[in-house]
Amino acid sequence: MTETNNNKEQASTHKIGIYLWIWGLLFVLSFFSYMVDWYQFQGILRWSLILFFMFLKAGLIMAFFMHLFWERYALVNVLLWPMTAIACFIFLMVAEFEYLLFSRLFYFVVGG
Amino acid sequence: MSEEFNDNKTIQAQSSEVMTGGAAGATPDMDYVRPAEIPEQDLYHAHSFITKWVFCQDAKVIGVQYFLLATFTGIVGLILSWLMRLQLGFPGLAGFMTAEHYYQFVTMHGMIMVVYFLTALFLGGFGNYLIPLMVGARDMVFPYVNMISFWMFFIAVAVLMASFFVPGGPTGAGWTLYPPQTILEGTPGSGMGILLMLISLSLFVIGFTMGGLNYMITVLQARTRGMTLMRMPLTVWGIFTATVLAMLAFPALLVSAIMMTLDKVLGTSFFMPTILKAGEVLEYGGGSPILFQHLFWFFGHPEVYIVALPAFGIVSDLISVHARKNIFGYRMMVWAIVGIGALSFFVWAHHMYVSGMNPWFGFFFATTTLIIAVPTAMKVYNWILTLWRGNIRINTVMLWCLGFIVTFVNGGITGIFLGNVSVDVPLSDTYFVIAHFHMVMGIAPLMVIMGAVYHWFPLVAGRMLDETLGKWHFWITFLGAYSIYFPMHYLGFIGVPRRYFEMYDSPYMTSAVGMNEFISLAAFIVGAAQFILIFNIIKTLKTGKAAGQNPWKANSLEWYTSTVPPEHGNFGDRLPVVHRWPYDFSVPGAKDDFIPQTTPPSEVVHTEVEKT
Amino acid sequence: MSDPNIQGYELKPGFRGMAKDTGSDQTMFKGVHWGKAMMWIFLLSDTFVFSCFLISYMKGRGSTPEEWPNPSEVFALDAFGVPVPLLLIAIMTFVLITSSGTMAIAVKYGYEKNRKMCGWLVLATAIGGLTFVGMQAFEWSKLIHEGVRPWENPFGAPQFGSFFFMITGFHGTHVSIGVIFLFIYAYKVFAGHYDTGKRGWFTSMKGDYVEIEILGLYWHFVDLVWVFIFAFFYLW
Repeated sequence: MTETNNNKEQASTHKIGIYLWIWGLLFVLSFFSYMVDWYQFQGILRWSLILFFMFLKAGLIMAFFMHLFWERYALVNVLLWPMTAIACFIFLMVAEFEYLLFSRLFYFVVGG
Repeated sequence: MSEEFNDNKTIQAQSSEVMTGGAAGATPDMDYVRPAEIPEQDLYHAHSFITKWVFCQDAKVIGVQYFLLATFTGIVGLILSWLMRLQLGFPGLAGFMTAEHYYQFVTMHGMIMVVYFLTALFLGGFGNYLIPLMVGARDMVFPYVNMISFWMFFIAVAVLMASFFVPGGPTGAGWTLYPPQTILEGTPGSGMGILLMLISLSLFVIGFTMGGLNYMITVLQARTRGMTLMRMPLTVWGIFTATVLAMLAFPALLVSAIMMTLDKVLGTSFFMPTILKAGEVLEYGGGSPILFQHLFWFFGHPEVYIVALPAFGIVSDLISVHARKNIFGYRMMVWAIVGIGALSFFVWAHHMYVSGMNPWFGFFFATTTLIIAVPTAMKVYNWILTLWRGNIRINTVMLWCLGFIVTFVNGGITGIFLGNVSVDVPLSDTYFVIAHFHMVMGIAPLMVIMGAVYHWFPLVAGRMLDETLGKWHFWITFLGAYSIYFPMHYLGFIGVPRRYFEMYDSPYMTSAVGMNEFISLAAFIVGAAQFILIFNIIKTLKTGKAAGQNPWKANSLEWYTSTVPPEHGNFGDRLPVVHRWPYDFSVPGAKDDFIPQTTPPSEVVHTEVEKT
Repeated sequence: MSDPNIQGYELKPGFRGMAKDTGSDQTMFKGVHWGKAMMWIFLLSDTFVFSCFLISYMKGRGSTPEEWPNPSEVFALDAFGVPVPLLLIAIMTFVLITSSGTMAIAVKYGYEKNRKMCGWLVLATAIGGLTFVGMQAFEWSKLIHEGVRPWENPFGAPQFGSFFFMITGFHGTHVSIGVIFLFIYAYKVFAGHYDTGKRGWFTSMKGDYVEIEILGLYWHFVDLVWVFIFAFFYLW
């Protein structure tokens, strides 16, 4: 992962080893996230583990398989900043579904 | 690593001009522009009629195709609005008009005007024509996909128009297509009509994505030598930012269209709650109509700015050129465009204050809505300051620009009313809202389109449009549009609800009936006045006076092509090299009152030109 | 991929480099082929599509008062008579990651102009993708056999089936399109179109190995989306 390739002569491709490493890591992480289900962790532990492995895998794929780690910041930033809109959307929709669930239970189950 | 590979990554200079500034006696460094990074574009030159004019890969022809098809759909939308006004002003005069027809016309008018007319015209029409010319590229980066983009749009329009002729007619659910009523029996066009609408929208999104990728990447990766982002005309900035918004907002529309199609066809319940119909419980249950509204407005609000931002950009250029003065606060204008674009993704639920969403959202969205007014107001100040002490030419183009500013300020101020929850609640679903959004995103961008047509027609066709007809066109449209929409504010205040097909003898009618008749008459006249432009264009194409190169004495690159109108490849043998921004007007000490973007610094050493 | 060598332009690292690149003329993404930039922007747009799907799913699942089916039971598969939770899904995940790995290495060999290796690896990727689609078809038919429909299912909230078929279906469509293109590109690599710069059938643009990287980006994106679907739909 320390292969920064600042050397211009070697600028273009990376050693095959790095891809094999990442490949192996992805297998291991997938295995771990599968184990989360296998051992039936529940609650906060389950969710945080799932998210942790998910983001780690996604990050590895983007950084190394999609070469984002080696790209210049101009491209990386253009790709990542729009995600704030999605983050806002997710955040607000969480508030929305909680409110909706509350009103459904309140009006339909409890009866107002 | 092999030799060829190195070639591939080391980008060779493909200079189309000698590197050192050639002018004798000048300092060699002064005019230096670094060599080309990207190789010359490998263009496909068409030979047959079909590949030259029908399935054409030239962005300029595609732009004109987009323009013509969008205008056609716009005329359909105009005719629908006439029919609506006929019903509202003189109920019962059109014998065939039923409530169902009225709702179908409202729906189709809205959808056509927002998506198939304004979006396609600004981004597809002006974007295709102007982006490559203004950034100094030979064509869009991927002309083949650009061509497919137009034909997808063509199919989308065909599908949309087909919905007029299917059993049940087009959908009549309002342009927002809110479920559950959209797909339930009893709503006009809830069978084939809504399906065709959803299919057409999906096709439009797919086609637009193809075009939008081209516009974005052409701006980002294919500018000519010396053309930095901060030297681009604001037109390109506006269209570019609007394209970015479209690329990120249309996905939400696509997703909601897919989900609603599934609700309709397969009977899923994404958006459909439990519904009692005539005492019977329908199959649907458990879905959330509010979810659709969120998805729709996550698209819908950026969509407003997809229409507005190109208009902002174009009008800045037109004002600057026709007031012979540099645009005031260029960088502020750019950042305002970018800021409005970014903020537009955080304001969507101000369309939903009365929808029954989480009540806390009102606070969040009212705040963001008022924040977005700040960069917008900055732009208005800058337009006015550009005009201040300018050498203003009151020609048709300038009239349209001035009309735009007034109309936009008017519509913007009513927007502040509606952005506040407590004011919006009583005004929501009245004619006040109609007046607001027609002023701000109907008439205002339309004025810019008209100004842009008068401005760029000499480039596209090589002939000047008739000024007298143009001024008649402007004054009838401007005064007429105000006659239509000003009274509507009042109708809104007295509480006349929108989307009602007839008021019958409700209490509103005592004061509103005369006003409704007046509005309708004005609408007929304004609509008819638009045909002055079509007549003007036909007349000009036959007998108009030749424009020659650069009739407005503008600076930006589109006026400095090898031929007028520009041919395929735009700039002949050599791509232009850019040395300055496009707003060097009336520079003290300069020979003319304009300095083209291609003028090297060594030629204007004695002038007080700004460093850009 | 890495810093290119551009005549007359000095590249700076980090955020300073970003500011300089953005402020420079001609290109903003230095040394990035326009096709690659275009694919990236398309993927950004596609990310928004999948995000909207997943957000809808989140909202649908979060607000239903009915019980949501337990995915690890619904998607269990009998192996030697014992129900193993998520067995098929685990295999599908491994297949897709494998194909992503072969694609990454194919891109590397493409840049080295190693026609044979690149071609075989693209073909392997295509076959991996095809296997994935096949297993997904099997999964769908198994669930349909058990009575899961887009509008109802025997396990609980009807939205479960709706979201399941829609989201995996949309992802599967992406995989299928990718597989078709992988086969086409495998043919083009083997036929040497990228060595000779043969023009494309439709686009009439000169072939270049950068197209393999562009296709690779798409394929990794499909894998990336699956990571999220796997986490949110099957594990959550």
